[in-house]
Amino acid sequence: MEVLKEKVEEEEEAERAERGEKMMRPMEVRKEETIMTQEMLRDLERKLSKIEVSIPEKPSTFTKDAIDISKLPLSYQSNTPKEEHLLQVADNFSRQYSHLCPDRVPLFLHPVNECEVPKFVSTTIRPTLMPYPELYNWDTCAQFVSDFLYAVPLPDPLKPPSYLYSSTTVLKYQKGNCFDFSTLLCSMLIGAGYDAYCVYGYGSQDLCHMDLTREVCPLTVKPKEMVKEEEKAPPKKYAVKPPRDLTSRFEQEQEIKRQEAIKAEEERRLKQEEERLVEQESAKTDPLHGLRVHSWVLVLSGKREVPESFFIDPFTGRSYSTQDDHFLGIESLWNHKNYWVNMQDCWNCCKDLVFDLGDPVRWEYLLLGTDKPLLSLTEEEDDGTNDDDDVENLGKEDEDKSFDMPCSWVEQIEISPEAFETRCPNGKKVIQYKRAKLEKWAPYLNNNGLVCRLTTYEDLECTKTLEIKEWFQNREDMLELKHINKVTGLNIDYFKPGHPQALRVHSYTSMQPEMDRVMEFYETARVDGLIKREETPRTMTEYYQGRPDLLSYRHVNFGPRIKKLALNSAESNPRPVVKITERFFRNPAKPADEDVAERVFLILDERIQLRYHCREDRITASKREFLWRTEGDSKGNKIIMTPDMCLSFEVEPMEHTKKLLYQPEAMMKLKNEEKLSRHQAWESELEVLEILKLREEEEAAHALTISIYDTKRNEKSKEYREAMERVMHEEHLWQVEAQLDYLAPFLAQLPPGEKLTRWQAVRLKDECLSDFKQRLIDKANLIQARFEKETQELQKQQQWYQENQVTLTPEDEDLYLSYCSQAMFRIRILEQRLNRHKELAPLKYLALEEKLYKDPRLVELLKVFV
Amino acid sequence: MNRLCDMEPRVMDDEMLKLAVGEQGPRDEAGQLAKQEGILFKDVLSLQLDFQNILRIDSLWQFENLRKLQLDNNVIEKIEGLENLTHLVWLDLSFNNIEAIEGLDTLVNLEDLSLFNNRISKIDSLDALAKLQVLSLGNNQIGNMMNIIYLRRFKDLRTLSLSGNPVAEAEDYRTCICAYLPDLVYLDFRRIDDQTKELAEMKHQYSVDELKHRESLMQARLEDERARREELAEHEAAFVEHLNGPFLFDSMYAEDVEGSQLSHLPGVGELLQTYKDKFVIICLNIFEYGLKQQEKRKAELDTFMGCVQEAVQEKQEQGKHKIAKFEEKHLLSLSSIRDESELTNFEIKMAEYSEDITELANVLMTLEMQLVEQLEETINMFERNIIDLVGLFVENVQSLMAQCRDLENHHHEKLLEIAISTLEKIVKGELDEDLPDAVRSLFVDKDTIVNAVGASHDIHLLKIDNREDELVTRVNSWCAHLVDKIHKDEIMRNRRRVKEINQYIDHVQSELDSLECSDLLD
Repeated sequence: MEVLKEKVEEEEEAERAERGEKMMRPMEVRKEETIMTQEMLRDLERKLSKIEVSIPEKPSTFTKDAIDISKLPLSYQSNTPKEEHLLQVADNFSRQYSHLCPDRVPLFLHPVNECEVPKFVSTTIRPTLMPYPELYNWDTCAQFVSDFLYAVPLPDPLKPPSYLYSSTTVLKYQKGNCFDFSTLLCSMLIGAGYDAYCVYGYGSQDLCHMDLTREVCPLTVKPKEMVKEEEKAPPKKYAVKPPRDLTSRFEQEQEIKRQEAIKAEEERRLKQEEERLVEQESAKTDPLHGLRVHSWVLVLSGKREVPESFFIDPFTGRSYSTQDDHFLGIESLWNHKNYWVNMQDCWNCCKDLVFDLGDPVRWEYLLLGTDKPLLSLTEEEDDGTNDDDDVENLGKEDEDKSFDMPCSWVEQIEISPEAFETRCPNGKKVIQYKRAKLEKWAPYLNNNGLVCRLTTYEDLECTKTLEIKEWFQNREDMLELKHINKVTGLNIDYFKPGHPQALRVHSYTSMQPEMDRVMEFYETARVDGLIKREETPRTMTEYYQGRPDLLSYRHVNFGPRIKKLALNSAESNPRPVVKITERFFRNPAKPADEDVAERVFLILDERIQLRYHCREDRITASKREFLWRTEGDSKGNKIIMTPDMCLSFEVEPMEHTKKLLYQPEAMMKLKNEEKLSRHQAWESELEVLEILKLREEEEAAHALTISIYDTKRNEKSKEYREAMERVMHEEHLWQVEAQLDYLAPFLAQLPPGEKLTRWQAVRLKDECLSDFKQRLIDKANLIQARFEKETQELQKQQQWYQENQVTLTPEDEDLYLSYCSQAMFRIRILEQRLNRHKELAPLKYLALEEKLYKDPRLVELLKVFV
Repeated sequence: MNRLCDMEPRVMDDEMLKLAVGEQGPRDEAGQLAKQEGILFKDVLSLQLDFQNILRIDSLWQFENLRKLQLDNNVIEKIEGLENLTHLVWLDLSFNNIEAIEGLDTLVNLEDLSLFNNRISKIDSLDALAKLQVLSLGNNQIGNMMNIIYLRRFKDLRTLSLSGNPVAEAEDYRTCICAYLPDLVYLDFRRIDDQTKELAEMKHQYSVDELKHRESLMQARLEDERARREELAEHEAAFVEHLNGPFLFDSMYAEDVEGSQLSHLPGVGELLQTYKDKFVIICLNIFEYGLKQQEKRKAELDTFMGCVQEAVQEKQEQGKHKIAKFEEKHLLSLSSIRDESELTNFEIKMAEYSEDITELANVLMTLEMQLVEQLEETINMFERNIIDLVGLFVENVQSLMAQCRDLENHHHEKLLEIAISTLEKIVKGELDEDLPDAVRSLFVDKDTIVNAVGASHDIHLLKIDNREDELVTRVNSWCAHLVDKIHKDEIMRNRRRVKEINQYIDHVQSELDSLECSDLLD
């Protein structure tokens, strides 16, 4: 809105005063309230100062002294003329506002920033779209802000702070109060295209202290099972009628009544219990209720397909409906373009507020001419008639109509990828919920890959642990979630696809073999199509899917071990198998009467039972049972099949005249298959052992994987990159050398720009060569000189040594010996170098000559000599 | 041919077959069993009857499941008696005296056929052998290369032997066969290499292309024919075939001599045309209506069948569930009975168990009876509905046919008028146009011409009546058949289920009895 003209006529003033009174009437309730509480407040403050001293867990260390302002840009340290103007406008607005509404607290308009410069709040918001796709949606964005910053309580819980720092500083020090939080979040949300506003208002104690101990942890809330309404097909024309119900309806009714009575009783009991609990929990009431200043973010519906307006608490990153009990009132709100003051009554918290910012009756604006939504037409006209006059008075003098919000003085918000990944300050964060504790870590912070741990407690004081859930990331063994139930002792590990044994879920009470455990697998990754293996001390059940032999189920019963050996394991002393049950899916290629559905090997009884699949139009299935006796008869002959060895029940005896003739063959086949099944059972046991061993190893090693795209952590790629850089560097050096012009010093002696004559060229060549020759000789001389010097030195020392050999202490002798060896080494090296130089010098000379002949500048002129 | 016939030619009989089966049957342990029990011809899969001097194939009808049959080196002169061996995959008739290929029309599964060293001079009668892969026709008397073209219809044919035939002596024998049978892999037991194939293709390209063209034309014609037949079948199912055009009208005039003569009269042509148009429109109406009604009937039938299926399925599931529960219990109780040592307890348990069996029988039977009742009701409802539908259809068709008759009557009147006026003109000698003599002869007197027109009219009415009667009788008989079949099916289903239940109960009971016996014996 614009500012009133200074030269307001007296009459108008008087009139407005009257109207102001009128307007005040609806606000009276609130006014009284505030006065009451303010009185109470003082009282309480006194009391509180005596009683509760221990509340501030951490002193607000975020003071100005700690901030390094020297590196901040100029816009932080001064105001542009436009900003100055805006401040004047704001001051004017504030004056009029306090005049018109003397009972309301002063507005939060232009607190000072970290450089002690007053800045208008709207210009502190710097809309920025973050480069991380995770931060494109409001929920992740809010979660990030709540994780990234460390919350500092307001210096005075009843007043807005006198300062408001830029997001740059807040992000740098990773701490801030609720206003810093909401400013940052608002900047990010507006940047992402949301219609977001910073709100200055009043919140509940839990909200202001970031106290979630009364909230249920969102991770513990079980997703509500979607009750699928089974679509009942309309009864078809010829659907059969159900058979007549012959039971007594009266009895049914009585039964139902009885059941209902029991249920009601149960419910009543539960309700009482719950009420008791609630009472217990909400025993403490806040004496400062309704006065605690808080700042949060309002997101209005419309943009980014937001269907309904909602609040975001920046401390916790949670969203609340605008009707929520935690939000007790709104003084004002602003975005990067404008500032609105709430003119609605907040006696019923925020439940009755209408967020139609185009309505000047409900929301008094500071600047006109911003593109705020117009007054929606659905509003009842008469609603605002009695007090809209004064609003007009406040805003209609349009001196500053063309004035709009200056650009933000804050730099673009920048978050480095490292900081983004680390998220929380120091990469760790703990949140206490009702009966739950949530701990978060940055990835790679813990060397076992732990990123999140949720501990659930039985009681409110959080002493008895119920269960622990741990989430992992980047584990080499693909462990994703570990669920430990402290009550039953049951551990459940969940794996992502990619475990070497295709493990999906592993639930167990102990890692000892042959105990109760369930292993589930990614069956598509396994050759044998195993889905699940359940074990109890005496049985093992396996479920299969998608096998070519259509096996779907195998159940093995074990007997007790025969001998007590020192080493009892499946490998050395397998338990005897008592019974194997196998089930198969229907094989459509075979007739049902020949397709085995289930076969049971009773190994001790030497009996095999077969059950076949049921034909489609049948309710009974064929069965066959084989019994055999391994011992021959008394004469030692093999026993021939007799009818009592093969009992069978045929669904259609006429169709299949299966004679005894074919049974021996079938039986032999089954015997072989029995052996195979036993072998497979044994292999399964071995596999369990192997998996357990592997798991133990993995737990012990807990290696983490590093993505090949992660250039910072991936050592290999780092090495490779560095090597590449080195190669590049060397190449560069070489190129520089190659570009060195050996003719340049000689050409410089000649007058520039002229073409060389042949004589000159020859001279040039000779000079160059002779120069090079000289250099080679110089070098040789230098080496020679050094060599001689070393040799002389050595001789001198030797002489000295021989002279004083008798009087020398052992230390001196050692010194001498070490010197000698070093000197000898140096001499040897110099000798080598000299020899090498002698060898190479002529070659180098010839090479230069060759090069000179081929030099493009001389080639023409020297041709004749070649 | 070149074998010594030192033995009497023989005819296959049971004895010979038994001997052969016994010899080729299982050995060792199973063989002893086989001796004890004997082997059913039905179960034999492969049979070898070579060097038996067989003259005539006979007595093979019992070998329903035979896969492989060897009849080589006999003196068979005619292929016969193989009609029942529909599962046959391999048939060896080499070294016989067969003169013509015949009697193989039912062997649709045959893949390997050997007719080596016979007296065959023409390849034919193999149409049914769609799966044929190997054909051996060496040492025969096939002389005409055109026989190869006959083999083009076997898409799976990979191996062919024709050596030793007159045709194989031709110069381009190999290339010719390769060209006409491009999918062939082995010829005369030798693999056809790519070079030969290419050569053959080049050499015979034109004739093969021509052949292909002819074949494709033939194929197209056949497909047209089939499509037409299918359409007709569809119309027939709707009982309105030949009503989607002027067929009925044309048939009315087909046998009507007078009618066609009268059409030469002045003005009759136009009259006939309008009459025809109107008639055809009504016919089309009937046709459309018929198709629509057919769809309706079909939908009705489908819903009915679906519902019946559902109900049956549900009861089946219930039955299966009951049986599964019973079996679970039964397993436990049987073993506990077995372990029981005390006689009184044993008897109590036995009694309990047999009670359980009765209970199960009762439950299953109750389920079945419920289903029967439900289905009966549903079937009756369906019967009523379908009869109503058919009745409605007949009624409407009849009313449309009545329109046809009206048209005919109208036309008849008009025609009579024209005829009489023409007669008058002729009598007066005013007729300008020339009429054919046959027509002119009708106009002798009034009676003649009236009779002629009347006869034509009668024929037309008769045709219409016939068509109508045909439609009505057919639709009614269809309906009766359908209802009858549904009833019968239901009865059959019920019988089968009852039988199944009884069998099962008997089985369980006998198990119990045997236990009792054995225990008493102990």
